[in-house]
Amino acid sequence: MVRGLLLDARSAMASPNRNARTAVVLGRLLGVAFLVCFATGVYSYFLQQPLPWMRFPTRPAQLYQFTQGVHITAGIAIIPLLLAKLNTVMPALVQTPPVRGPLHLLERLSIAVFVASAIVQVTTGLLNTYQWYPWPFPFKQVHNALAYVLIGSLVLHIGVKLRLISRYWRKRDSYDEHGRFVVDPAAGSELLSPSQEARVDPATSAPAPQAVASYPRGITGRVLRWVDGVPAVPAEPAVPAVPADAAETRPGGPDSASATRAASAEPSLGMPQAGAAEASRASRATPDATDGRRERIARRGFFAGVTAATVGVVALTAGQSSTLAEPFNVFGARQRHRGPNDLPVNRTARAAGVLATATAADWSLTVVGHDVVRTFSRAELVALGTAEAELPISCVEGWSQMATWKGVRMRDLLGAVQAAPGSHVRVTSLERHGGYRIMDMGPEYAEDPTTLVALELNGATLDLDHGFPARIIAPGRPGVLQTKWIEKIEVIA
Amino acid sequence: MRAARIVLVVVGVLVIAFGAYVLVTTVRPNRIWGLATWLLGAVILHDAILSPFVVGVGLLLRRTGRTLRAWALVVVQAVVVLGSVLALVVLPEIAAKAHGQKNPTVLPFDYGARLLLVEGVLLLVVVAVLVVAARRPARVRASTG
Repeated sequence: MVRGLLLDARSAMASPNRNARTAVVLGRLLGVAFLVCFATGVYSYFLQQPLPWMRFPTRPAQLYQFTQGVHITAGIAIIPLLLAKLNTVMPALVQTPPVRGPLHLLERLSIAVFVASAIVQVTTGLLNTYQWYPWPFPFKQVHNALAYVLIGSLVLHIGVKLRLISRYWRKRDSYDEHGRFVVDPAAGSELLSPSQEARVDPATSAPAPQAVASYPRGITGRVLRWVDGVPAVPAEPAVPAVPADAAETRPGGPDSASATRAASAEPSLGMPQAGAAEASRASRATPDATDGRRERIARRGFFAGVTAATVGVVALTAGQSSTLAEPFNVFGARQRHRGPNDLPVNRTARAAGVLATATAADWSLTVVGHDVVRTFSRAELVALGTAEAELPISCVEGWSQMATWKGVRMRDLLGAVQAAPGSHVRVTSLERHGGYRIMDMGPEYAEDPTTLVALELNGATLDLDHGFPARIIAPGRPGVLQTKWIEKIEVIA
Repeated sequence: MRAARIVLVVVGVLVIAFGAYVLVTTVRPNRIWGLATWLLGAVILHDAILSPFVVGVGLLLRRTGRTLRAWALVVVQAVVVLGSVLALVVLPEIAAKAHGQKNPTVLPFDYGARLLLVEGVLLLVVVAVLVVAARRPARVRASTG
């Protein structure tokens, strides 16, 4: 009973696209995308939670803008690729028998972990770029932990499937001279359709490659016949099948009919011998060539769809983090140059609870050295001498924008309290709460000539939502570390 | 091959174990249960709802495809896939905006109107392709006599 249901499901899923070669091609793309997301994600993680010995490059200043833009863009590209891959391997979901032994059970469980963590990781990552968190767990910690589960599952999956991957790694080993998928029973693919399995099964194998009985019995068979327009009773080989008939009434002739069926999204279950023979006679092609053509067009149609979806979804969202895609920013979560000072805002002064403290007339910045403590009003900061820097704001959520900043160099302020070269610095914000109220900065940033305590942005006084009266801007760091509304800078080591 | 497989499997299991360790050391137990329901939900959503739906749509496309020319079906299919993925990405964006923006620069666009516009354009493409595909054979017949 269960076996019958599973076999019916496999028949319904059978398609020239759902084979091991397609799974390998999509798996390669998806594997690269996952690794890119993992590498850029780990980089972003350590920028925010560095180990004590870690130092980071400050040039190019747009490095983080680039890596995090790639992280989000690759993550969005994963959505259509993951769906395509899951669609391709769908027959494995209903394989018979469901479990072949303890090892096979473990393997199927590891696939479940892989699929579950991939879907949750991509979904929560996407919603995070919309700043919406409708789930009962902390995003940052879970995103970080799941990344390792996901990459571990990927490595494990490659290990388990290595024989199959290498068997179908190259196109010329995967399709015969007519373009038909080469079924290799030794490779252990779980995606073979029941009719393909029957063909390779030595017990039932007949010399004829296409058994006439390629439709299952019962309702599934009837539905599939309806789909393919095949008479309910298996046609005698001499009787032309319906599609061939229909083709004759059309000017394109039988050849176009076979091409037509060939292109259909999931056309796969054997087209009846009669129709194939009829079509091929007219086009002077062998049944093999007709089959091959049919499979090839179906595959191209499938990959055309995957490509269109991947390119489309990336092009219409990447404008939030790439100047190149800015004109096509239809669905991006941010628009560049929209916001106070011509720049978007993540956390407003109101949200940070600094409306009163940041606008207080007696605001001053305290700089604490080992032996010297000094305080500066805004006017005194300006008197120290200001510098200008072109630096991007690059958010962990992927949006970024270049901006012109003017303010006091951090190294000048540190010099004013006689800090030793190579000092680590701790910056405290006026914010009363929030995970980024206190920010530590390594010497590579503190000594960089472009690291500023910024007072102006894009030619005007810093907006209250951009960190008035003073904020940090440093090259190559995530936006959350560009602390706003600062009140204290301490030399800590 | 055998050695490579063993190394990959062992490394994979170790990295998964590290991920599990990071999870239990940074997330409180009751939150991990919340995550577990989401992981389970993701598998159920995909395996029990999305997959049968896709198989159904695929069979319908396959039936429709019998009477369509190859190039037309490829275009229609690509447009359907693109339209579905865009909806999948933008519908949550609309929901997120309805849930409340933190400030006006977050989710600045009217995503509902934009999605309707883009899907409308895609629908026009499908209609245009179907019309052209239906007409072309007639023109061929006329030109060949």
